[in-house]
Amino acid sequence: MLGQTIVNGLLLGGLYAIAAVGFSMVWGVMGVINMAHGAFIMVGAYVSYFVFATFGIDPFLSVPLSMAVLFVLGYGVQRLLLNRLMRTSLLLSLVLTFGLDLVLVNIFLLIFSADLRSVNTFYTSRSFALGPVLIPYVRLAVFVFALALAAGFYVFLNRTKAGQAILATALDKETVRLMGVDPLKVYALTAGVGAALAGAAGSFASMLFPISPSMGITFIGSVFVITVLGGIGSIEGAVLAGLVYGLIQAFAASLLGVNFQEIVAFLIFLLILVLRPQGLLGKRFYGEVA
Amino acid sequence: MSLPEQAILPASRGWLEGTQRLAMPALVLAVALMLAAPFLVGGYWVRILTSVYMYAVVAQGLNVIVGFAGYHAFGNSVFFGVGAYVVGVAVTLGVPVPIAFILAPIVSMLGAAIIGWPLLRLKGHYFAIATVALNMAMGDLIINVGGVTGGAEGLPLPLGSLSPAELNRLIYYLMLGSMVASVLLVMWLARAPLGYALRALRDSEVGAQVMGINTTLAKTLAWAISAGMTGFVGGIWGYWINFIEPGSAFDIGVSVNGYIMMLIGGMGSAIGPVIGAFFFEILSTAIWGQFVKIHLLILGIVIILVVMLMPEGLLFYLQRVFRAREKRG
Repeated sequence: MLGQTIVNGLLLGGLYAIAAVGFSMVWGVMGVINMAHGAFIMVGAYVSYFVFATFGIDPFLSVPLSMAVLFVLGYGVQRLLLNRLMRTSLLLSLVLTFGLDLVLVNIFLLIFSADLRSVNTFYTSRSFALGPVLIPYVRLAVFVFALALAAGFYVFLNRTKAGQAILATALDKETVRLMGVDPLKVYALTAGVGAALAGAAGSFASMLFPISPSMGITFIGSVFVITVLGGIGSIEGAVLAGLVYGLIQAFAASLLGVNFQEIVAFLIFLLILVLRPQGLLGKRFYGEVA
Repeated sequence: MSLPEQAILPASRGWLEGTQRLAMPALVLAVALMLAAPFLVGGYWVRILTSVYMYAVVAQGLNVIVGFAGYHAFGNSVFFGVGAYVVGVAVTLGVPVPIAFILAPIVSMLGAAIIGWPLLRLKGHYFAIATVALNMAMGDLIINVGGVTGGAEGLPLPLGSLSPAELNRLIYYLMLGSMVASVLLVMWLARAPLGYALRALRDSEVGAQVMGINTTLAKTLAWAISAGMTGFVGGIWGYWINFIEPGSAFDIGVSVNGYIMMLIGGMGSAIGPVIGAFFFEILSTAIWGQFVKIHLLILGIVIILVVMLMPEGLLFYLQRVFRAREKRG
């Protein structure tokens, strides 16, 4: 029982981690709280669903496609809309991305209706036993792919020129100009990559949860908590916090009941905010821009 | 985290100054028209106007904490829900309705003062999300507490002795009164020492402390005032719709709408949120009437356009347009 709870929590935590990484980075680098991040996840889930339903292609294979689609969406939104607001207050980007969320959710309602959809592959409900613990194949695969993707993203940020430009812009957007970096281009790239990660999270989620235009709402709350818990803008923090959050949810559900999941999450959130606002692994300067 | 400078100044400069002699008569005329409205227009428009006034107060509540104190209480709708539930529970328990209406803002204010003490230590984004989380958690709390709150099934209120038409008229005047009171309160606040303290701490919290302002007290008071306004109309709303459930009482959309209205009208001015409420609520009603299926889609587009085109609010936008015209002419 205990082992099963831990495994359940950790496996789901991998998905939470990848759902939060992009959000956390966008917030840390630009000071933008993207209220449409949940909608981005939803779009990613529908891309995988659509490809699966029309061509029968496995959702794991359509992850690159939904990442590409979301990259274009995130990049475009930043380039056309958000970049014009970067010098004003945070409230404007908050309200704007809320409007964007409404637009996306309702476009998908029009196209796909509110019906719940699901992706059923031949391995969907299979699992193997490891001692007394049952491990579903899909969840294990999602966990592994999600963590691999987060690791890949970490390498991208720290080992490539583009990644270094993003980190440098997060530190000091005035000085990077002197280094020949255009902050507005970096912002667009950051938003694109952040959205692409949301797209991947959506593809993974399509295999675990029912798909509907409003599925993003359930994610956005968790993503908030994980981001703050891990430290805003910290990739390794978001991953660690995602796993911790998965565990907390699993234990709250098994000890107190499913209804208490959100209350427990909120209490932890409040405690972290008051006691350690920079999060588990956060650095103080991140997220204090704008 | 500073706001565009223009959005901070009171809206009494430029072309508005010339019209200031007309402002008082115009306001009196507007209020007189609003008082007479239930006798002039049909029930449909009375209901729309009622929700315009309600949202004006929600926006005004946000104006106090966001426009004056600079704390982005994105989840201020939590007090709307608290007010609704206080009235709902009190009336169910047999408390007379007028007393229930007074209890709603009192409980909201106390709640804001207690939870504000730790929460208002958070800055910028952190405070914004903490209030959103608070709003979500309150909805869950009601669901889990159940009992006299009705839990997830919702809380039907006992029917009063008023006919539906009488009830609607009563609610109309209550909401109108709340809106007028909220405008007067903010006008007072703009000149009161507390108002100056809040604007000082918005621009620089450390600076305000150095000037001898008790910033913790000032911002907690501001949030309590904001919560009181929101809770009051939340309570009236609960009595109006007669059936309260966690999803609609703690709907984050209430504060999002309020935010957009405050933005459209312009922050920091007493009349801005009212103008924003009229503009946005009537616009969204019109959109809803025309395109039932896609009204939220269009609303989303309108929100994006408003933010992109007039981030400083309608008043300042008009002011700029007028000035540009004067220069040309």
